[in-house]
Amino acid sequence: MLKCSFCGRRAVYDRRYAGAALCDRCLIKSVEKRFRRAIAEHKLVSPGERIVAAVSGGKDSVACLHLLAGYCSQRKSEVVALTIDEGVKGYRDHSLPIVEENAELLGVEHFVVSFKQAFGASLDRIVRLARTRKTGLNSCTYCGVMRRSLLNQAARELRADKLATAHNLDDEVQAIMLNYVRSDLSRLHRLGPIYPSREGFVPRIKPMREIPEKESALYAILKELNIHLAVCPYAGGIHIEIRDFLNSLEENHPNSKFMILRMFERLKPKISQTIPEFEMRSCAECGEPTSAEICKTCELLGQLGLAKQGKTLI
Amino acid sequence: MKTIAVSVRVFPGRKKQLIKLPARSKVAGLLKTLDLNPQTVVVRCNGKIVVEEERLKSGDMVEIIHIVTGG
Repeated sequence: MLKCSFCGRRAVYDRRYAGAALCDRCLIKSVEKRFRRAIAEHKLVSPGERIVAAVSGGKDSVACLHLLAGYCSQRKSEVVALTIDEGVKGYRDHSLPIVEENAELLGVEHFVVSFKQAFGASLDRIVRLARTRKTGLNSCTYCGVMRRSLLNQAARELRADKLATAHNLDDEVQAIMLNYVRSDLSRLHRLGPIYPSREGFVPRIKPMREIPEKESALYAILKELNIHLAVCPYAGGIHIEIRDFLNSLEENHPNSKFMILRMFERLKPKISQTIPEFEMRSCAECGEPTSAEICKTCELLGQLGLAKQGKTLI
Repeated sequence: MKTIAVSVRVFPGRKKQLIKLPARSKVAGLLKTLDLNPQTVVVRCNGKIVVEEERLKSGDMVEIIHIVTGG
């Protein structure tokens, strides 16, 4: 029987990248400690701040909500849960009640903003329109751009000091690799534990960034959190290939993911020096912050014959 | 060669199936048989979370939970 390297109890996880095994209690303590350390090291949350947590109902965002609620309650900060309902039938409609239940358990306010409300169309309809019009863009492009736009706008309307997302180590390393493959320096420049404030943008923090996906999952399962464990029906594309490649690499060469992250952190200051500062403007159509004349969301909606409904979200 | 038979259920979605493995197989061997990367799953054996080095025996009830869901 594999024993915990710290207390000798039965191990539930072999942390091969660190040469240690952990029992259930030590795994939970370790994840909580990493979460707090990420916040402290990068000054992600200050006392008295209002943090809006993006919560989809998946294992990472539910774990993040619980961890943030615990953290904030001890430091006179406030956390509020925000869910973007993309309108994916048979998927998002199953996760919404899970978020509500977790928010109620924690005594945290929960707000929901839907694609239908904001754009007049669900993601299901948007994907159908994209296929009909042969835009050549995959569903993740629409979902990612539009969801991020709504998260920012809703967080701003909720008077958030920070917007917290539950990106874990695997997500961050996948993003590094994806932007490397696409040769997208400006996107690489924006990766990190905190993306600071620019006009119209709520600063974005990632307190789970150094927690491997498997440890985030174990944390949620061991704490018996109510989580939504289903695969998005639209998941696909190069993201999946990069994800599978990284998991294969990590299985055969433990610590690869952390090494990629650390190397990126060393390179990032050099990358940032090469990125020119761009001027933020307001989108000519919706008024949201953008570096272009029209924001990406309006551009994508326009291609489909859709437009923002022009309402406040909250 | 002696074999063992374990009952396996994969979440989300798949039905329970009976898998035959060589005697003294470990969880790692079961995952390899099912072409599953240990990085992407959490495994419970008889209700308890187990590591890949855990040895299986005939009659064990194994639940394999996919944790990489995307979206």
